[in-house]
Amino acid sequence: MTLEALVAIIAGGLVSGSLYALMASGLSLVWGTVRMFNFAHGALVMVGAYSAWYVSNRGGIAKALQPIGKSLVANSEEAGALGALLLPLGEWILSIKGGFGLLLGVPFAIFCSGLVGYIMYLLLVKPFVGKPGADLVVIITTIAGASFMQNGVQVLFGPRYKQLDRILKGPPLQIMETAIGLQEVLIIILTPVTLLLLHLFLKHSKLGLAIRAVAQNDDFAHLVGINVSQIYPLTFIVSSILAGLCGVMLGGLFFILPTMGAQELLFAFVVVVFGGLGSLPGTIVGAYVIGFIRESSAYVFSLYWAPVVLFATLILVLIFRPRGLMGGEES
Amino acid sequence: MLFQVEELVSGYGKIDVLRSLSLHVDEGEHVGLFGPNGHGKTTLLRTVSGLIRAKAGKIRFRGQDISNLDARLIVERGLIHVPQGNQLFPQMTVRENLTLGAYVRRTDRQKSANFEKVFALFPRLKERLSQQARTLSGGERQMLSIGVGLMGMPELLLLDEPSVGLAPLIKEELARAIAEIAATGVTMIVVDQDVELLLGICDRLYLIEKGRVSLETADVAQIDQAEILEMYFGKVS
Repeated sequence: MTLEALVAIIAGGLVSGSLYALMASGLSLVWGTVRMFNFAHGALVMVGAYSAWYVSNRGGIAKALQPIGKSLVANSEEAGALGALLLPLGEWILSIKGGFGLLLGVPFAIFCSGLVGYIMYLLLVKPFVGKPGADLVVIITTIAGASFMQNGVQVLFGPRYKQLDRILKGPPLQIMETAIGLQEVLIIILTPVTLLLLHLFLKHSKLGLAIRAVAQNDDFAHLVGINVSQIYPLTFIVSSILAGLCGVMLGGLFFILPTMGAQELLFAFVVVVFGGLGSLPGTIVGAYVIGFIRESSAYVFSLYWAPVVLFATLILVLIFRPRGLMGGEES
Repeated sequence: MLFQVEELVSGYGKIDVLRSLSLHVDEGEHVGLFGPNGHGKTTLLRTVSGLIRAKAGKIRFRGQDISNLDARLIVERGLIHVPQGNQLFPQMTVRENLTLGAYVRRTDRQKSANFEKVFALFPRLKERLSQQARTLSGGERQMLSIGVGLMGMPELLLLDEPSVGLAPLIKEELARAIAEIAATGVTMIVVDQDVELLLGICDRLYLIEKGRVSLETADVAQIDQAEILEMYFGKVS
């Protein structure tokens, strides 16, 4: 193996590991707290990507607003006193032909994925919480929800692939004679920052502490006065925002399409099981390990063999550590 | 009267465990519940604290009916249930467990003072502040459990089997601590198998059998142990 190949594998592993970590930590959080698997988690990646695109790209909201801007400018003379207001507004709308940029796109994506996650909780999960067999029912309802969202997005935005603008423009970084794109570098840096924020939230905020409390012992959580029925949707929102962020990052790397996120969801499931169900540190370590295994097997064998190697590793780990890498005893 | 249970019926699914149970506790009183396993002592506490629903009857706290309120609203009113069998947040530190004990807003201002109170009562917890709860010994876990309850500033403290499964020496230590809490004037209901422990703490005892109160002792000072044993096992003839 050449040095360049090694650098490429490490960089690729860090990128895939980052994306898996963002997705899988959300899955793991929901599993730990609500004891359910969210199969629409991949669709939330897609929601994040599309909403960021809609605000930031010139084909999105900016394009939709142009006719309004034109009619405002055209009608401003007839509007009299109001026209003095309408004209600059119309001109301003016309001037944003290029979209609002990612500076607005990313917060909007966070907002949308959180909102969609909350609505999803209300419609697909909440009606079944506490009922017998709820975990199985919710698998079906969330698969259905994902299908609705994918097809809904196709109707709303059309089948044409989209792509997000790159946040950093410029030539790729040269490390040991291997080119690494700036978008990749950004993902490698921003993901640990995001995960650190998640850690601080869970460890030091009152709500974060409550989320962990419900995950570890929900009976006792009731007895210290935690509003457990409020913690479930909160967990869904946090987890959805993580998925949405993952979508924003993916959308800058690959094309945005309605079925994006499905492949990542599959790997995220592997990560969650591999790292130990409900263990956040395990999930994050697992994500990067899986990322490296994927990249190196893609190099040694081929990209198509990567899933085979991954699942073989998963099976091996589960034989020797049935609760995953860092899965503790059931609490 | 601070606390009153009237003809309470509750249980799990279709099975009633409590069948019309009534009892009362006055302000500042310490009341013990004892009786055979599976006859409704824990079910009573779980119904009072809102973990299971009352099917009939009333639970009054300061004159207001609190039956079937959300558990958190009951905690908010100062009725704190320390459950049986070291229920804790196992993968959290001692400090985090105690912090969660003060989750309700009512306790915000007194938080640091309450930490000190708990440490004064259980100095061992202070030494183990950053240790995970699951790594504590059985006795320490029980202390932490009670400490978490005290952080919620109880006006009525429900202790479920505080001494179960503990070695005699630790049991004594815990009994002393509970007596100390009682001496500060906190109203208490203590459930335990160990009648001797109850006699050391409580003003009155109820014997609970088959989901009802089958006996009530007026004043613990007036009766002796032989009588209690008789209540438990029937008359030896």
